[in-house]
Amino acid sequence: MTSTTISVNGRTVTADVEPRLSLADFLREHEGLTGTHTACEHGVCGACTIMLDDRPARSCITLAVAAHGAEVRTVEGYDGDETMATIRESFKKAHAVQCGYCTPGMLATAYDIVTRLPDADRDRIRLELAGNLCRCTGYIGIVDAIEMTLAEIRGGS
Amino acid sequence: MKPAPFDYARAESLDEAVRLLSGADGDARPLAGGQSLGPMLNLRIARPALLVDLSPIAELREVSEDEDGVTIGASVVHSAVEDGEVPDVTGGLMRRAASGIAYRAVRNRGTVAGSLAHADPAGDWAPVTMALGASLGVTGPEGRRTVAADAFITDPLTTVLEPGEIVEAIRVPRLSGTARWGHYKLCVKPGDFAESLAVVVRDPDRDRCRVALAGPTHAPILLDGVAGLVAEASGWSDALADEIKDAAGGGIAAAGFADADDRYAMNVHATVTVRAAREALSR
Amino acid sequence: MSDRGVGASIARKEDDRFLMGTGEFTPDVQLPGMWHAAFNRAQIAHGRLVSVKAPSGAEGQVFTSADMADIKPIRSTASFPGFKGADFPVLARDKVRYAGEQVAIAVAPTRAEAEDIADSIEVEYEELPAVVDMNDGREPSAALVHDHWADNVCCETQFENGDLEPARAAAVHTIHRRFRMARQTPFPMEGRGTLAHYDSRLDELVVWMSHQLPHPMQRGIAHFLGLEINNVRVICPDVGGGFGLKTHLDGETMAVCWTSLKLGRPIKWIQDRLEHLTCDADCRNHQYTMTAYTDEIGKILGMEVECVVDAGAYSPWPWPIGVEAATGVGNLQGPYTVDALKGRSVTVCTNKPPSQPFRGVARPGACFTDELTMDAIARTVGREPWDVRLDNLVPPAAMPYDTVTRKHLDSGDYPEAFRRCVAAIDPESVRERQKTPEPDGRLIGVGFACFYEQTAYGTGPFGYSAWGIELVPGMEMATVKLTPDGGLWASVGIQCHGQGLETTLAQVAASELGIDPERIAIRHGDTATAYAGTGTYASRSIVVAGGAVAQGCRELKPRLARIGAHLLQCDEADVAVENAEVRGPGGSVTFDEIAEAFYHHPENLPDDTDRGGLTVATGYNDKVHGGVFGFGAHGAVVAVDPDTGQVEILDYAIVDDCGTRVNPLVVKGQVIGGYAQGIGNALYEESDYDENGQPLSVTLADYHVPAAPMVPDIKYDYMESPSPYTTMGIKGVGESGAIGPVGAIGNAVNDALKGLGVEIAETPITPRRVFDAIERGRAR
Ligand SMILES: Cc1cc2nc3c(=O)[nH]c(=O)nc-3n(C[C@H](O)[C@H](O)[C@H](O)COP(=O)(O)OP(=O)(O)OC[C@H]3O[C@@H](n4cnc5c(N)ncnc54)[C@H](O)[C@@H]3O)c2cc1C
Ligand code: FES
Ligand code: FES
Repeated sequence: MTSTTISVNGRTVTADVEPRLSLADFLREHEGLTGTHTACEHGVCGACTIMLDDRPARSCITLAVAAHGAEVRTVEGYDGDETMATIRESFKKAHAVQCGYCTPGMLATAYDIVTRLPDADRDRIRLELAGNLCRCTGYIGIVDAIEMTLAEIRGGS
Repeated sequence: MKPAPFDYARAESLDEAVRLLSGADGDARPLAGGQSLGPMLNLRIARPALLVDLSPIAELREVSEDEDGVTIGASVVHSAVEDGEVPDVTGGLMRRAASGIAYRAVRNRGTVAGSLAHADPAGDWAPVTMALGASLGVTGPEGRRTVAADAFITDPLTTVLEPGEIVEAIRVPRLSGTARWGHYKLCVKPGDFAESLAVVVRDPDRDRCRVALAGPTHAPILLDGVAGLVAEASGWSDALADEIKDAAGGGIAAAGFADADDRYAMNVHATVTVRAAREALSR
Repeated sequence: MSDRGVGASIARKEDDRFLMGTGEFTPDVQLPGMWHAAFNRAQIAHGRLVSVKAPSGAEGQVFTSADMADIKPIRSTASFPGFKGADFPVLARDKVRYAGEQVAIAVAPTRAEAEDIADSIEVEYEELPAVVDMNDGREPSAALVHDHWADNVCCETQFENGDLEPARAAAVHTIHRRFRMARQTPFPMEGRGTLAHYDSRLDELVVWMSHQLPHPMQRGIAHFLGLEINNVRVICPDVGGGFGLKTHLDGETMAVCWTSLKLGRPIKWIQDRLEHLTCDADCRNHQYTMTAYTDEIGKILGMEVECVVDAGAYSPWPWPIGVEAATGVGNLQGPYTVDALKGRSVTVCTNKPPSQPFRGVARPGACFTDELTMDAIARTVGREPWDVRLDNLVPPAAMPYDTVTRKHLDSGDYPEAFRRCVAAIDPESVRERQKTPEPDGRLIGVGFACFYEQTAYGTGPFGYSAWGIELVPGMEMATVKLTPDGGLWASVGIQCHGQGLETTLAQVAASELGIDPERIAIRHGDTATAYAGTGTYASRSIVVAGGAVAQGCRELKPRLARIGAHLLQCDEADVAVENAEVRGPGGSVTFDEIAEAFYHHPENLPDDTDRGGLTVATGYNDKVHGGVFGFGAHGAVVAVDPDTGQVEILDYAIVDDCGTRVNPLVVKGQVIGGYAQGIGNALYEESDYDENGQPLSVTLADYHVPAAPMVPDIKYDYMESPSPYTTMGIKGVGESGAIGPVGAIGNAVNDALKGLGVEIAETPITPRRVFDAIERGRAR
């Protein structure tokens, strides 16, 4: 067992864990934050994407012990965040959700696109989404939603 | 899929890392971003006894630029290169290469040094550093040494690193203002490992022209024949394209880089080489 | 009529929980004392099990088939001619028949520990030659997958309708082709998963499953475990996609249930991606040999076809081997007026995971075959493929039209939908563009595909019931109840895993009663809340569950009218039930008030209040039993890179007709989702095996699921031809989008290659296959 201290959605958590425990399983099983999903556990599909020190990262191939000292933000951690509220609203309007399994990871990536690439066009949005698989929506609704969010943010500022 | 059990230690200094890695009966491995090791652990392909986390070591995060180039610490991640946080001494080649590796979430954790040390034959950094004539600073129980990028990877997933050795930093020489480069990555989906990846660097002022090629089945190679043609060329033409394609085919066959009977693979590698050369010569 | 009812593009009710991360999928359920399961799996594709030895220290944590003698092996039945049955053991018994077949279950407090144990189980095999390719499996010299069979052919069907002789005799052209679809996997983002737990208070085994068919699973688990239905409850909570994969009862689930009962503790098994790609059911692996007879302008006179299906090692329950093949042959004429068809299907067992229907069932294969044949015909007769299609499509005046394969096409203007698709693509401009070489050397091609989608299949005579299989859909049930505060609660036996049925069924009820969808709760996926049902598959749920919910609302209305009239002190005949109220000549009373009276103030009720109260359990059955038919036309423009073999989709158009659209946003979403899967089918996805039957595509590095850059925007249009046979004219739309791409893209690639005189006839159309075809062309 190794001790790890992680800030999870603004709350500091210290736990003794097996070194082999992934950050995803730590969040899901120790913290009960089951909004973070896993669908490949080798970094490809993006379902487990969370924010690690404000940047998207794969929680399935990040060890909980290696996240020691980091700030983690999961899909459950956006209370009061206006950008995420806009993204979520756009996802609803554009029908960017079907089964919902990929959605938390999609939201993390969408958040990264919206905050890092304010001028992204549809091609760029698609490229940035390449690391988040969705088997249901065919992505077009997701691209629409992110484009809508960007337009809204541009219009608002 | 969960990893087999292992121990874990955070190294606070290079010395400590080397010491830890020399223990565990030779069954210890450095952990950088975990973006290659993580999948291997989860698939139980890698079953180390001990992981030594390099991320706390401050000096491995350093980047320093001088007249001749830039030194990139081992813990520098792909996205830092992509975003230009690492001074680009290569006229944009490093940034282009970085942005084509995997996806942002992977680039935020994966390191340049980790990628080279992992030695995936289709990895992006090996052909880039080889074409740039970069070198790796290595530290180990026997002290420090420098290894040229083109001598670092010997076989797929195999490097010249001895047990206990760590890549400390990557030294990338500065390209001159007149240098031109080409970079062509062919993959099924953006962010995938390459089916074929060619990098061409032509720097007449420094009297250097190098062409590197990477693919899924063989360690990356330098194509000297192609480099000779590119160095001599004075523009792009269909005839030159044919010559380069032939030279590439020759180099690929000679190195055993692809199965000579596999016409598809042979053709793809040659085509990708031509396209990288065209970019370098059309800029 | 609520303006948020049928026809409204309202945002989905289920979205909020998914966007907040508060959905609940099977892996999310945690119970006190729960342990995790992992499986030891066969390392070889075919061999005898000599011994299985658990590691010391793992006593009571490892179980094999020897321990589970009291479970009946899973066995499916069918009345197909020559159908051969075989047990699908819950854990391998005597033999392993595909790489990855589960040999032993290991349980431990964490998944990682369970994997440690599963890893260290020692299994000794006596390896046997593996049957890998379906054609090899038909050879007399082939090894036998099931020792007690005479050969590996497990089912053969014949079909003949119309007279082929005159067609043959009159044919000006005879077009002969062989097509092949690779094995692939449905790949829902959430894999399978099962959590079983014995509830001693209720004497009930509670099984959470990531599944599409709660009630059939309840029946299967009870049957194979030897329990009463009363003692099994199946809950399918939020399910991260299914696409047909999650319609059979897997051995792992049975082993988990058994182990949970044995140990008296909750046991959870979550299939990981490696398991999914290595050894879960695959699909689509068909080979079609087609001969089409046409007149001089390409009008099809008759078809002869053989379909061979690679079934893998076992017949899953409840859909047995043979369904794929019968569906493939049974749709080969497509939406065209073909008068004579002779078909034969052969299903072959191999040492690969069982095969299972995937979105579209065999129709993508049939579409690939008939649509590529259509373009081959066009090239042969020297006409444009869109012209030839228009000459063959079932005209609107012929509706309803009975196809040669006895599909009763109910409504639609197929030629008009196709013309719109052609207009969107503008193939003449592609022909112009093709006249000059592209600056980048790529080859441009244009292609189309037309298909119908058979939805909401019932007891029809040429399907399920005729096939003598375990699960025959027909009557679909719903329970509808006005709640004490005037909302509506409806429970249904379907399962929603992304289709938006919590919203669309609420919209159907909203249209009937005028209650706002926000006040309508749809409950599904739980055998304890739904009376009966067969689950969600075959594009049926909105038609059948929608019909049942509408029927429930309709039966509720007179009951509401009676109470309402009494409260309004007017005659029952003078009231109308709409907009969530009962309106009489002098005023109205809301459903809230009626509910208040019924539940809390019975003193205010009329004496003749319906004794059924405000709950209706009722059902829906189609007026026709062979399903109702949607239609789709897809068009694609592609660029083929002759040096790398890569195919890029430059333009794509879809015109779809699914009858009345309950929620246009959701309909479009279903079509686009299917389109993306069709792109995977056409260009990328392949579950490959080596000559020993070892799977080669076991991670996402080798199995290529389309990502956003591979799924370009589309031009989308729709038509609305209500079905004359269903409630509100609704047809299903779940599978439609997935059927067309393989045909449209295949044809576009072949159009690009036509100058070389070669054709692609195999999916996926990988760069290597394209390159090989080009090489063949250049060598000519
Ligand atoms: C989905 C996905 C897609 C990817 N696609 C690409 C791609 O297209 N191109 C590409 O190039 N890469 C790709 N990668 C790999 C990525 O670039 C990794 O970041 C990189 O290969 C490993 O870097 P790391 O820092 O994560 O190293 P780790 O995974 O931590 O380590 C990798 C190996 O290197 C060793 N190691 C790490 N650091 C050192 C050191 N300083 N000295 C000695 N040994 C060391 C480790 O012991 C281990 O054996 C992809 C990864 C994923 C998950
Ligand atoms: S589960 Fe982490 S990327 Fe797929
Ligand atoms: S919504 Fe189902 S995987 Fe994306």
